[in-house]
Amino acid sequence: MTNFIKGLLRLRRGPWEMLATILIALGVFMLMQPFALVLFTYSFIVTLIGTVMFIIVSHFPE
Amino acid sequence: MPDKLAKRAALATPPKLAHKIRGLSDRAIAWIFIAPTIFLLLAVNIFPLIWTIRLSLTNFRTNRPNNAVEFVGIENYRKILTDADTWTSLQATAHFLIWTIVLQVLIGFTLAYLINKKFRGNDLWTTLIVLPMMLSPAVVGNFWTFLYQPQIGLFNYFISFLTGADPASFSMIGEVALAPWAIVIVDTWMWTPFVMLICLAGLRSIPSSIYEAAECDRASKWRQFWTITLPMALPFLMLAVLFRGIENFKMFDLVVQLTGGGPGSTTQLTSIDLKREAFEKWRTGYASAYAVILFVTVFGLASIYVKALNKVKDR
Amino acid sequence: MSFSITEPSNRQKWIAGVLVIAYALITLMPLAWIIATGFKTPADAIAYPPKVIFEPSLEGYVNLFTSRSRVTPEDLAALPPPETFYDQIVRQYDMVITGPSKYGERFVNSIIIGFGSTFLSVFLGTIAAYAFSRFKVPLKDDLLFFILSTRMMPPIAVAIPIFLMYRQLGLSDTHLGMILLYTAVNLSLSVWLLKGFIDEIPIEYEEAALIDGYTRFQAFYKVVLPQAATGIASTAIFCLIFAWNEYAFAVLLTSGTAQTAPPFIPTIIGAGGKDWPAVAAGATLFLLPIMVFTILLRKHLLRGITFGAVRK
Repeated sequence: MTNFIKGLLRLRRGPWEMLATILIALGVFMLMQPFALVLFTYSFIVTLIGTVMFIIVSHFPE
Repeated sequence: MPDKLAKRAALATPPKLAHKIRGLSDRAIAWIFIAPTIFLLLAVNIFPLIWTIRLSLTNFRTNRPNNAVEFVGIENYRKILTDADTWTSLQATAHFLIWTIVLQVLIGFTLAYLINKKFRGNDLWTTLIVLPMMLSPAVVGNFWTFLYQPQIGLFNYFISFLTGADPASFSMIGEVALAPWAIVIVDTWMWTPFVMLICLAGLRSIPSSIYEAAECDRASKWRQFWTITLPMALPFLMLAVLFRGIENFKMFDLVVQLTGGGPGSTTQLTSIDLKREAFEKWRTGYASAYAVILFVTVFGLASIYVKALNKVKDR
Repeated sequence: MSFSITEPSNRQKWIAGVLVIAYALITLMPLAWIIATGFKTPADAIAYPPKVIFEPSLEGYVNLFTSRSRVTPEDLAALPPPETFYDQIVRQYDMVITGPSKYGERFVNSIIIGFGSTFLSVFLGTIAAYAFSRFKVPLKDDLLFFILSTRMMPPIAVAIPIFLMYRQLGLSDTHLGMILLYTAVNLSLSVWLLKGFIDEIPIEYEEAALIDGYTRFQAFYKVVLPQAATGIASTAIFCLIFAWNEYAFAVLLTSGTAQTAPPFIPTIIGAGGKDWPAVAAGATLFLLPIMVFTILLRKHLLRGITFGAVRK
């Protein structure tokens, strides 16, 4: 866990990609879940942030 | 003048270099070779994408070209993301997605595991099993509506043969309770071979020396499966799941031919919903915003997919 | 035969074989049923219980390729005796053949668009893949991801702007429009697949050729192309299969002149309801070439479906 935070602080690719992946997965889950309309409403913005983040952080050094 | 210089340089340099100068530079060739591809993809994908984003901010309707086109900001997005019907069609997609993936992974992995026992003729049977996934989903989906006919359909006959139920008593694509399963069954029939092929590659990538070592340590077969087979095949399984997930998220041809989204809107997956908005109601601006939402979702999933792809590539 | 402790026992092999063959036989039933239904009469096709043994008939194929109209028994009696077997089949139902159906045209459209787009995407894909494989291209990984991501996009979402664009350019419902569209969709597959194939050719061959006095172009088409021939051929078959099977773009962007077979086959109807033997006949003719191709491709299937990532 501390390695993960260290990686984030040093702008390393691995942990940031992991974070973006989690955001995208969360967005997709919110988009298709049957529980609350409000989650559905905010799903797009979460996926969008995750996707843009993924594109940016995939250029960070390993 | 530069020409002369080049000639003199060519004469003075060893033959290998001279050829490089006489021909185009590698850099130029690289660009000449890549440019047509990039250009075509820009014209057919990126330019339309930008156009879609622009349309998504307006109230444009293709069937009323004379109406004034107004800029409405993110109004279309707000409408879609608070619309309960759209939400319902995404839930229908989720049901389809989850069950097809679960079934395909279970059956596909089992098949791959069995084929990997290398019984006689396994190559031939693998090829035969793969056939359904190569065929046109629309044409096959259309024919499945015949197999699903009550009374005369082969599928209903098969079920009645197994369970004793009257083959005329149920209609897979006509009943609200059964239609979501009808599309899951056909998709599973069609795409299980895909998961099977990838799992088979995963199982075959495990060196037998690992099993031999485990055998020497007297690990049980059951333990070997959970500690060697499954973890080592997992990256491949992930690849298959992600790919099927993306494909089924945008599923159109098979389901539109099978049920057309019906009965009611029980099998109206997002792509079918989008098609109705865009090409039946002609709410182009609204549909464009809908399309952008799907684009971004698929793009996000695709980036995860490529990451998984690279992981498998190193093996 | 090598013997090792990890080799499955004969009994295990036997059980595995039985289970796999049972699965294969069950899942191949629908395909067998398509082929069989094509040779049934309409009455046999909807019989209960489903008929496994039946008297083969070419009615489905005759109905597939012809359009017919009903005539009164008196008019039918006044006609000269039927000359061909298909006249004979049609007249049993008080009908006469009025001309060919549209199936032939749609099938030819599928061939033109399929082969046209395959040729273009394999040609462009080969040179692009060569460049990606051999040269330093700036932003290579981003370009490759961009190329792949174009294939992932939902066709309906792409179709909205394409529909408007093609209407402006006069490309809707034309062969050229469909060829360009399918080429663009297939390019991602052909670039990724061919890059994998070209990566496998040792770079030393070309270096040797360059030292022998070949230019880059000569090295490309005299050394690399022959080496990549199998790869190019299987890529071509994959592109062809995609273009052949594609439905979403075809149904939205074509209506007549350039319509391919997949949107057409489901619309075949006979007198009084769906003419299932004719539909099955159309589907059989349409699907059989792909089945043959699949069997030819079996060694490269896995590469094709994973964009060249998984090789074995």
